[in-house]
Amino acid sequence: METLAYLLKGFQTALEWHNLLFAFVGVLIGTAVGVLPGIGPMSGVALLIPLTATMTAGAQPEEAAASAIILLAGVYYGAMYGGSTTSILLNTPGESSSVVTTLDGYQLARQGRAGAALAIAAIGSFVAGVVSLVGLVFLARPLSDLALSFGPADYFSLMVLGLCAVSGLAGKSMTKALIMTVMGLLLSTIGMDNVSGVARFTYDIPVLYQGLEFLTVAVGLFAMGEVFRAILERERGESPVGRIGKVMPTRQELGQSAMPIMRGSLLGFLIGVLPGAGATLASFFAYVLEKKWSKHPEKFGRGAIEGVAAPESANNGASGGAMIPLLTLGIPGSGTTAILMGALIMYNIQPGPLLFSEHPQVAWGLIASMFIGNVMLLVLNMPLVKLFAKIIETPPKYLLPLIIAISVFGVYAVQVNIFDVFLLIVCGVIGYVLSRNDFPLAPLVLGLVLGPMIENNMRRALTASNGDWTVFVAKPMSLCFLLVAVLWITVVLWRKRSRGKGEVSVKF
Amino acid sequence: MSKKFDRAAAIVFILIGVVFVAESRRIADTAYGSVVGPDIFPMILGGVLALLGLRLLMETFRYPDQLEKKERPDVKRFAVILAATILYGALLETLGYILSTFLFLVVAFQTMERGSWGKTFLISGAFSVGVYGLFVMVLEGTLPGLPFWLSG
Repeated sequence: METLAYLLKGFQTALEWHNLLFAFVGVLIGTAVGVLPGIGPMSGVALLIPLTATMTAGAQPEEAAASAIILLAGVYYGAMYGGSTTSILLNTPGESSSVVTTLDGYQLARQGRAGAALAIAAIGSFVAGVVSLVGLVFLARPLSDLALSFGPADYFSLMVLGLCAVSGLAGKSMTKALIMTVMGLLLSTIGMDNVSGVARFTYDIPVLYQGLEFLTVAVGLFAMGEVFRAILERERGESPVGRIGKVMPTRQELGQSAMPIMRGSLLGFLIGVLPGAGATLASFFAYVLEKKWSKHPEKFGRGAIEGVAAPESANNGASGGAMIPLLTLGIPGSGTTAILMGALIMYNIQPGPLLFSEHPQVAWGLIASMFIGNVMLLVLNMPLVKLFAKIIETPPKYLLPLIIAISVFGVYAVQVNIFDVFLLIVCGVIGYVLSRNDFPLAPLVLGLVLGPMIENNMRRALTASNGDWTVFVAKPMSLCFLLVAVLWITVVLWRKRSRGKGEVSVKF
Repeated sequence: MSKKFDRAAAIVFILIGVVFVAESRRIADTAYGSVVGPDIFPMILGGVLALLGLRLLMETFRYPDQLEKKERPDVKRFAVILAATILYGALLETLGYILSTFLFLVVAFQTMERGSWGKTFLISGAFSVGVYGLFVMVLEGTLPGLPFWLSG
């Protein structure tokens, strides 16, 4: 009951007119970002952090954080939805979680049923959003209560587990993913050590004392890296834009998709809660499962509406589910949630078990706004789908330079420092080179965000145990997390070896 | 996935790891009243990174080099835009936001595709003035204004 009262308060926060506006702007920009080929949810969210920082400049810290995170989360699931539009109309997934949507979505578009496919995707996303909201409401408090009983050693091990899980699933090579994770952790140690006040790896360069700004690195790696890739490798989908036709799905199509949507939402949510698995895996599993369950598996790949409904619900369900470890444990399970976490930390709000007791306005406001955002998405997208389809035709010759200009503006406006502009460019080049050679970038950002926390917990645990390293295996909970982490890595390694390389390749 | 790149990257990562270990040893162990100083964490990670780099290096000897026929990247266009971006950053504070952004966009648009100067000037001008106006006048943020010899 207490939870319901909190949720109601959350709705009060989310329904304040300026937060409604923020949610609206968020889903609108998010959908546009998802539709634009090349900018995924990660770069979209990273690009908008500076904007929200200036928009909320005058407000109280708590309110500012709530509004900002509402907007950014809107961008997140808006982009998840928008990605399906290009999958269906262009046969080009806007982000990796919509890859399977192309299989049946584009076929439907070629049959002139794109409108119905888009509508089903919107409805599926909405249902998934509601399912994950209900899940969040019920799981948030018990999980954060459990997390409150964790000591520093448990926390350290849990974060190690989170990093291992993400590294195990990201990219083609586990070694490369682990290298990127460790690199992110190492980069996070640059700057003033916040326990002892000792400057580390700064070499008397004043700008380094604050450490490398997470925002700059994220925008550089993702947004700039993507732009550089697009400039270097001129690519344009040859496939003609599908016709949208009638938007409202028929009753028969609705009936066919009802169960796939429910199954996809639940599956997506459960996968989303697991760290590392993420939306791409969720949509993929949902599609495979649906094909297995179907009475007409031969229809899949030739324009089955179920093949759009299930994965689209699953990827939205997963993005909702991914909020749970972020909000309750303070551990992001994917690249995008890592960026959301970085944004919260910028507002001096630490996601984790204390979030619900210390900043209920932010936590519950966000949860409630996710529901409102999903309603907005549904209402927006049914009539506006043709308008969004127009965005696809934005010529890249204008789009790409503008993204560079927006990145530079964003980073400079927040940091007011030319050093960060150069860091941005360097990160862009590095991001392009690394991702072209199959080094996944999400683990690096994750390491950068989690680094200070892992280190603090490790040092607190060691200080309490007087430097005795066995503390991490002596505590049952901590031992448990570490064992799961080791198990996870071995299972993934073993599966990769037995199946040949490159089988388990999932990008974020 | 080029073998050559992976090998070079592995060596770079090993070096980075070694440098972090070596430099961590130089950090003064001044964490007062604590047995674990600020040097432990980066030192361990540096070691792990070096080991992982070594593993990557070993892996490159195991898998066959994949001959890939990707189209030649458009290096020239990229070089011009990269140079323009660097210059943009360098001149941002001297020339002010509006002027430097305008120039950068004009150069970048024309590098992407020659022609249609009217549209180029229109979009560049609208973006640079619009962002400046919105950010400085409406949101009351700070951006470098016009250079002194223009603002009079």
